[in-house]
Amino acid sequence: MEFNIRITGAAGQGMQTAADLLGRSLLRSGLHVYVHQDIESRIRGGINFSQLRCSDRPVHAPVERVDLLVSLSPESLRAHAPAVNAGGMIFATSAVEPADCPRCAPFVLSELARKAGNDKTVSTVAAAVAACALDLPAEILDTLVDERFGSSEKLLDVNRRAVQLTREAMLEAGLTGRLSLPGGSVSGTGASTDRLFVSGAASVALGALAGGCTFMAAYPMSPATGIMTTLSELTHDCGVWVEQAEDEIAAINMVAGASYAGARSMTASSGGGFALMTEGVSLLGMIECPAVIVIAQRPGPATGLPTRTAQGDLRLALNAGHGRFARVILAPRTVSEAYALTARAFDLAERYQIPVFVLTDQILQDCQTIIDRPDVPPVTRHVLTPEQAAALPFYERYAQTGDGISPMALPGQSRHVVCVDSDEHDPAGHLIEDAAGSAAMAAKRLRRIATVDAAAPLPECTSHDPALPLVVSWGTTAPVVVEALDALNAGSPRFNHLQVTQLWPLPDLRAIPAFAACSRLILVEHSVGDGLDGVLAQTQLRGVDAFIGKLDGRPFTVEELTARIGKEDHHG
Amino acid sequence: MAELTLNDYKSKVENAWCPGCGNFGILNTLQKSLLALGLPPERVLLVSGIGQAPKIVHYVHANAFDGLHGREVSSAQAAKIVADDLTVIVHSGDGGAYGEGGNHFLHAMRRNVDLTHVVHDNHIYGLTKGQASPTTEQGQKVAVHPDGVAALPMNPLALAISQSCSFVAQSLSSNAGHLQEILCEAIRHPGFSFVNVLQPCVSWDPVHTYAHYQKHCYLLDASHDPTDQLGALAVALAHDGRIPLGVLYRNERPALRPIMESGIGDLRTCTDRPARLAAVFNRFR
Repeated sequence: MEFNIRITGAAGQGMQTAADLLGRSLLRSGLHVYVHQDIESRIRGGINFSQLRCSDRPVHAPVERVDLLVSLSPESLRAHAPAVNAGGMIFATSAVEPADCPRCAPFVLSELARKAGNDKTVSTVAAAVAACALDLPAEILDTLVDERFGSSEKLLDVNRRAVQLTREAMLEAGLTGRLSLPGGSVSGTGASTDRLFVSGAASVALGALAGGCTFMAAYPMSPATGIMTTLSELTHDCGVWVEQAEDEIAAINMVAGASYAGARSMTASSGGGFALMTEGVSLLGMIECPAVIVIAQRPGPATGLPTRTAQGDLRLALNAGHGRFARVILAPRTVSEAYALTARAFDLAERYQIPVFVLTDQILQDCQTIIDRPDVPPVTRHVLTPEQAAALPFYERYAQTGDGISPMALPGQSRHVVCVDSDEHDPAGHLIEDAAGSAAMAAKRLRRIATVDAAAPLPECTSHDPALPLVVSWGTTAPVVVEALDALNAGSPRFNHLQVTQLWPLPDLRAIPAFAACSRLILVEHSVGDGLDGVLAQTQLRGVDAFIGKLDGRPFTVEELTARIGKEDHHG
Repeated sequence: MAELTLNDYKSKVENAWCPGCGNFGILNTLQKSLLALGLPPERVLLVSGIGQAPKIVHYVHANAFDGLHGREVSSAQAAKIVADDLTVIVHSGDGGAYGEGGNHFLHAMRRNVDLTHVVHDNHIYGLTKGQASPTTEQGQKVAVHPDGVAALPMNPLALAISQSCSFVAQSLSSNAGHLQEILCEAIRHPGFSFVNVLQPCVSWDPVHTYAHYQKHCYLLDASHDPTDQLGALAVALAHDGRIPLGVLYRNERPALRPIMESGIGDLRTCTDRPARLAAVFNRFR
């Protein structure tokens, strides 16, 4: 059981405030929600929307259907009214034509805000309309309004009045409970303490902290910025330093310096900003320096669509930096997986002394959903303790080892000095030119690649009959495919599904029967092609038979993928 | 612990500089300065990029981070923010500091992390065989500029003073006594200390020779007030053919890390994360 609420208006009108109030209301009511943002690259004006998929079960994917439209501007009403289902409802800030439209509320949102005493309370009115329609317990929204506006008596007063006036209007119009979800009227505040309402960006930030991150340097770039914003707000609570670098080149070189000095370090950008970091990535490879790099993807080339989504940067992450060295590329599918994989990225980075990439995208960064309160296991460091370092008779940062990984000491923690060099170097970290020494160090880097390759996990596969067509997906596309396949496989199974969360290195996928025996390989990737299809062709010697991509920067929806994948099972 | 000697700062790495290079003066003086300040090698972090000058970090026994061309200041600032108990000294050439790394230099002055940035300024690109650097004289005929360099040279001292860089000094590689005095003062100064060290390039630059510096350099005396920013700027912009040596400008701006201190703690540890995160999670409800 689910209902979809779209809150739309111009940038700056408070749609995100409304979505936040409503999302937290659903959390505290014991329900589930997935909020995705459709935003233009501007500060004021235009037409933006937040769509809330409210459900009695966890949801991780956008849909197109709209059961309830809350419109805060005439332009947004014109643009989005046609999307509303037959039987859906429209709430607007101006009268809707025709005046007797059965789907339109008989009151105007902006008038309620004005009556409450402040036009800006229209975002609270929007949240209250939806909360009433869903019949969420009144005291939950009341408490949230108190928490949000409690610092100013005047603001609290007008917002409380806005909620009250909206409730009265809804009741009078007979619309309260119009979209009631099972369980929605149960006061679930007790049960909600073990769940959080977070954005993808915040989840990456929290996962970084769980992974032991104490240093981030980055230059703001949509849609990555939310990560540094969240971390900066937690500087003093969690002991993490966030440095806003003058450019992305500075950011990645700061990460290298901080990591060398002993902090678990990260940066985040989108494709264009990351492109500036590529020499720094090569430095990380040469000096065997741990680092986590988040690429929050958006469509390119160049500036592309700054506030839209894409999965087009896999090959950029894979090939960034000259020379050959080990790296890992992870791609979370959901908000909760963004937490877990980012934390894991920090462990892998330090364990193997490599750059680890986390590929997110705009839809994940900006979406908000309800997750279970995550575990925070103690962080295990993979560096020498001061005592371990002091006990060594001598220390070489690049000592030759069988697996290519040398014990990492931190500078200033013992009597030994720690030297690293972007030039080819000897085991002690000093520049060299000689052939034998250079070959030995290159061979060590190759052994490290083999070590990281050998640890590559097999991806998750849902298989019915291994000969069925196999749909491959990764990142935020995967949960959309899951729902599409739920619908397509409802009668007799038609498709298997392989979901890749570690994109590099990949293990031999022929170990998976559904991959080895599939009649048809279908890749769904939010790109214009030459992403995972190219990687599969290169590394698994298996090209894809059908590619379902995306050109417009808008997220895949369940409806769209159900239709597009459905056409793909009966080709020769 | 045994008393430190100059030998403790000597490295076994074979030196690759040209005979007579100005870098030797800086190397010897750096080692003497570290000894004079009583800084043991393991408490010192030398950071550099690419070029002839940056190789200095291999010729001193200390912690060393030899990173990318022009990016040394970025790595050094972060390393110092994390390992606040290390003495961090950056060595760049004029190409790395003012060309490739110009933007980082500007922002390092704003940020004011407590480190010392020594620029080996020989007015030429040595390792790439004699092209113009950002401080090559206008009209000087060098590789790639057979008709003479058209662009004006950068004035790093005036730039730094105008940006309220917290310590701005100039010295000469061949004046060991003066250079040691300046280096020690720069290292002791809390905040971003910038030292432009003039040095001849014996292989590629016939203009800025030892004799040239002997003739044109003068020592700033007690009449110069390094806390007077406009006065310092006037010295840096004099255009009278004379080259000032000494501390041109200094101020007492607090360094970055102390400003941010509350609750940050040692960035090399993260063992208290479970407890700290548990409190933070409640904001997301």
